[in-house]
Amino acid sequence: MRNRSLISLLATVLVVGASSVAMAQAQFNPRDLSGIWTIRGHRSISANVPPMTPEGEARLSANKPTRGRFLGEPLNGQHPGFVRAVRIPSQGNDPAHQCNPNGFPRLLLDPEPVEFLQAEGRLLQLFQWERTLRELWMDGRAVPAGENLENLGPAWYGHTAGGWEGNTLVLNTVGLDDRAWIDIFGFPKSTAARIEERYTRTGPDTIELRMTMYDPTFYKEPWVSDVKTFTRVKREETTYFGWYGLFSGITEGICAPLNEVDSYNTLVRDPAGKGVGK
Amino acid sequence: MKRLRSLVLLLAGVLMVAPPLAAHHGRGATFDMKKQLTLKGTVSQVKWQNPHVLIFIDVKDDAGKVVTWGFENSNVHTLANQGYNRNTLKIGQPVTAVLNPAVNGAPLGIIVKVILADGKEIMSRERGGNPLD
Repeated sequence: MRNRSLISLLATVLVVGASSVAMAQAQFNPRDLSGIWTIRGHRSISANVPPMTPEGEARLSANKPTRGRFLGEPLNGQHPGFVRAVRIPSQGNDPAHQCNPNGFPRLLLDPEPVEFLQAEGRLLQLFQWERTLRELWMDGRAVPAGENLENLGPAWYGHTAGGWEGNTLVLNTVGLDDRAWIDIFGFPKSTAARIEERYTRTGPDTIELRMTMYDPTFYKEPWVSDVKTFTRVKREETTYFGWYGLFSGITEGICAPLNEVDSYNTLVRDPAGKGVGK
Repeated sequence: MKRLRSLVLLLAGVLMVAPPLAAHHGRGATFDMKKQLTLKGTVSQVKWQNPHVLIFIDVKDDAGKVVTWGFENSNVHTLANQGYNRNTLKIGQPVTAVLNPAVNGAPLGIIVKVILADGKEIMSRERGGNPLD
């Protein structure tokens, strides 16, 4: 009799415990992406670069990154595009080193905090780096095409629209400025590129992102991303000056030419690299 | 055997994804990352700016001549999250700076750490600050 009570008690504890775990897992709205996040994944779309067109190869060669592995090192199974870095930073031509916008998708691929803010008919992404706002339209509009896109012209962050497919937010971006690199390694994209993003919230503190770039001008096949994961940034890690609660949130990561070009590049980067490697 | 193969594949994947640190920061061969220089001086200027905080110190050489050394640090928000601010180092403050120096001999470098007069080490790259990225 006592045994039976004990078994009932244990069963109750197990049921309550299991439902608490289930409730904890379910305690998020899959259509709510708001919060401050950082991305994890490959620093480019993925390591699996599709075959490139001759035009794409030419643009890749013209871009001289300072990041990635150094030019001339063994490939070790990597795509040659990841083994092209110049050894003297001033000999590179990364547009971001002159404080030009990183553009999309390069800024999204940077593991700096980004805040997702959901508004009526829009998702806003506020990036700490550059303190730039990306507007992702979810009000039923389509991305511009044809003459409209031609008249609008390219933009550093392009033109983005989309909506929910089940619990996955599907967005498309077109009209990207081809002067901005895809990534820190200098892979190019043309103004004809279209990038699809698919965001799925997988837990209270995680969002998964899958991307595909379609750019037949520079790439013979779509470039499919790895599965990138956004993890929630703890509040104390976003606190300005390290004082918890005093001034918390996305801080100002602006690269201003007055700071970077006229100050850092002129006073340290370029004189420190002068004559090196000659 | 299967587990071992998975482990090897996982390690290979990690190596593919993570570029070697030496080439990741984009400074190439500018600084001698294997050499550390310890300089005693006084703070002459702090440029609390993104994406690179710059610190300048005046150092007397053996002949008594003052040479201004400049060294780069991490960005503002990385340092801020570690509890530092634009007034952590004050003009005229005596400090000891440990640097990876420029390979060309210019009085420039990248920070390893700063040691205050009381021996306290701050802005230490060894303790998690990452000015190399």
